Amino acid sequence: MKQDQTKLTRRFFLGLLGKLSILAALLAEAVGAIKAFIPQVLYEPSLKFKVGKADEFPEGLTFLPESKLYIFRDGNDFHAISAVCTHLFCVVDWKPDRQGFSCSCHGSVFSKEGINLSGPAPKPLPWFALSLASDGHLVVDSQKPVGRDYKFSI
Amino acid sequence: MKAKILRLWEKMTWSWSPRSDREASESVVKNFWLHWFPSRIYRGSLSWGYSLWLGTFSACLFIILALTGILLLFFYVPSVQNAYWSIKDLENVVAFGWLLRSQHRWAAHLMVGAAFLHLVRVFLTAAYRGQRVWNWYIGIALFIATLFLSFSGYLLPWDQLAYWALTIGTGIANAFPLIGKSIRFLLIGGNTIGQSSLLRFFGLHNFFLPAVLLFLFALHMWRIRKDGGLACVDHLVLKTKSTDITVNPTKTYSLLGIAEGTTIQVSTTEVLDEKNSVHASPHLARRIAVVLLLTTILTLFLALLFPAPLEEPANPSITPIPAKAPWYFLWLQELIATTTIKIGKITVSGGLIGGILVPGFLILLALIWPFLDKSPQECIGVWFHKSRKRQNVVFLLLCGAVIVLIIIGVYLRGPYWNFYWPWQNWPTIPTLY
Repeated sequence: MKQDQTKLTRRFFLGLLGKLSILAALLAEAVGAIKAFIPQVLYEPSLKFKVGKADEFPEGLTFLPESKLYIFRDGNDFHAISAVCTHLFCVVDWKPDRQGFSCSCHGSVFSKEGINLSGPAPKPLPWFALSLASDGHLVVDSQKPVGRDYKFSI
Repeated sequence: MKAKILRLWEKMTWSWSPRSDREASESVVKNFWLHWFPSRIYRGSLSWGYSLWLGTFSACLFIILALTGILLLFFYVPSVQNAYWSIKDLENVVAFGWLLRSQHRWAAHLMVGAAFLHLVRVFLTAAYRGQRVWNWYIGIALFIATLFLSFSGYLLPWDQLAYWALTIGTGIANAFPLIGKSIRFLLIGGNTIGQSSLLRFFGLHNFFLPAVLLFLFALHMWRIRKDGGLACVDHLVLKTKSTDITVNPTKTYSLLGIAEGTTIQVSTTEVLDEKNSVHASPHLARRIAVVLLLTTILTLFLALLFPAPLEEPANPSITPIPAKAPWYFLWLQELIATTTIKIGKITVSGGLIGGILVPGFLILLALIWPFLDKSPQECIGVWFHKSRKRQNVVFLLLCGAVIVLIIIGVYLRGPYWNFYWPWQNWPTIPTLY
């Protein structure tokens, strides 16, 4: 028995419905599986953290390896510069002879203020907002970038 | 009883004891290990000089990698606290653990090189023309899978080398426009590299990527059979084609229903006649066994002479000076370090140009090249055919540029990615901490 090819038959429609439901089920499964790989909770250090008692910081520059951060102290004024290179996330070193930062991975050079002078780094090193906790500890908020004229005075 | 056991043994291992051509062909059909061979094979395909057996070499390396890798799985602990120390145990406590790890590492490095040289061979013999373009594509996918396999394995020892190679590698993904940040977040499972990154790369390295590679490998082998063997067969067909046979419609050729036609052997008579071809069993089987043996010897000797290195445990706060990616990614690192450009106020990161645009362009070029190649049919399966001179030169220049960049990266880059000749000493770096 020949079916009329142009007419939408019940058999064809039900078959199509079946195939589409298989596709929909597979898609739903895939979305769920991909969702599982997007972390809901990050067991990482907080992006706002204490770095030590403000009055115990020495004059000049201090490197905090744990938080990849440089803290500058000038009398009662503080500011914090990120030590993570803006190119590919290597840690930049302080060069006392040049009074600036250098990245060991790809040779980016930054000024004392974190401005990218040469090398592949596309952006300056960010400065972070500071505050003082009630116990006298300096608090860095790495989610809050600030301008290069920023000063936190205690 | 004894006869039965002997027959079973014969079936499982080597059923070839032919008293006629028919029996020789049947040995392929009846043997599990040989059933994916053709029954007869063109003599030219067996030549050491034509294919250099680079594909077989890569496959043998994969076998060695799979076997040593499965064994390593019994000793490795994929946790940030224990990974490094389980590798230390492999090096110092587990009997022959150092050899296992060393051989795995050498086979991985060699496989990247072998797959690349195989690609170069296929290009220079124009073996990607016509229907063979599908196998060229599968081959490129296999090469990329090999690179990712090697890179994901690089992280697992969780030493300084591993940690900073991953930092740079995922930094490249971060440079991708718009979705870069999300890709990096998904890859390392968070904002900072840690336990979830290690577990993700462990899963990729041990299951996902090998599964992809095995699937593509099966397709690659199947396409070789469908394309009538190596490309040198096409050359022979062009020279000898005389009698066409009516094609049997049951001989299919399809790949996702796109590729059409039939195998060359189906449509012509002379390719597999007595003077041009030999039985695959034992001639092909014997050569594959020889390549497997030589590959095993090579990786074993390299592992014995140059054991795998292990640096100090990963330290997220101290970047080693200089930090280098694995050698096969150093040409990208070189580009990344030197291609940051400023257009007015906009700065384009070298990570985008060197890490994504240039390799993306090269892959795209490899994909469209078969369609740009207008050289005549008789080039197929011939090394350095004179009508392909110009494109061979362009291709070899591109390969040469990559190799030169790799050599610069490996031997001539020192602290802060400065240029040093091998006879120049690196300066001592004073550290603040």
